[in-house]
Amino acid sequence: MLEIKCPYCGKRSQNEFSYGGDASVKRPDLEKEISDQDWDNFVYFRNNPRGKHSELWQHISGCRQWFKVSRDTVSHEIFKTAKLNEEL
Amino acid sequence: MTPLSALNKLHQKGLFGDYKNKNEIISVSELKNLKIIQIFHYRKSNIKISSINLDNIKFPENSMQVNSNDETRILWNGPNNWLIISKNKDILKKIKKKCDDKNFAVTDLSHSRTVIELKGNNSKEILKKGCPINFNEFKLNNCANSVFHGITITIDMTDENLETLRILALRSFGESLYHGITDACLEDGYQGI
Ligand SMILES: [Zn+2]
Repeated sequence: MLEIKCPYCGKRSQNEFSYGGDASVKRPDLEKEISDQDWDNFVYFRNNPRGKHSELWQHISGCRQWFKVSRDTVSHEIFKTAKLNEEL
Repeated sequence: MTPLSALNKLHQKGLFGDYKNKNEIISVSELKNLKIIQIFHYRKSNIKISSINLDNIKFPENSMQVNSNDETRILWNGPNNWLIISKNKDILKKIKKKCDDKNFAVTDLSHSRTVIELKGNNSKEILKKGCPINFNEFKLNNCANSVFHGITITIDMTDENLETLRILALRSFGESLYHGITDACLEDGYQGI
């Protein structure tokens, strides 16, 4: 089991959290022409890296906040967690 | 109309389980008629939360912290988010006077929660059986949102000398939570009061 440090509550067990996907995905700018290919990439395509990965998690059974986690997809080591408005 | 509590047809009084000394066992009770109010402070609000006093209680600004007086407890529920649990039937009026709807979202959740109280020297041991919180560092006036066998719960510690824990869950999970808690209590026995 992972222990994840919520930036608001501190260290808690993984089963209080839910995974929210890749944190590096950026929505294409509003009011800008965008190709189907770019939209497709934003909606469906994700990298599946081996090693360090930036992720979104939510403390769903705790303070209910979303935050960022930098995690190793091989060893599951968590390097850092940060609020959404902070740098990872 | 009389309100029916969540465990109305379920909770049984008496002694249950494998107890050795009936004077030292954990008691399990349902707390009824509490006012439970959720408060959210809007991000764009200019009001400083530290300036608000509700019955001489300040809103706690640190995680897991509870500020209280004899009838009302204010639990930190998340950033800008609190849960007020009170015996005072008129607390909602008082809250609305202090927290206007331009700056705060105030929601009465009294009808939608089940509250179970565990009282006894080893109350924490019961919750340890299904909840991942580190109870060794869980002290008086601490609260936490967590899970108990998959049910989302809020825990509030109201007494430390005789460990007293309030466990709140959604009303519809009440029956399941009650079975989970009482089952965990059977090992050393419990008294339903
Ligand atoms: Zn949290």
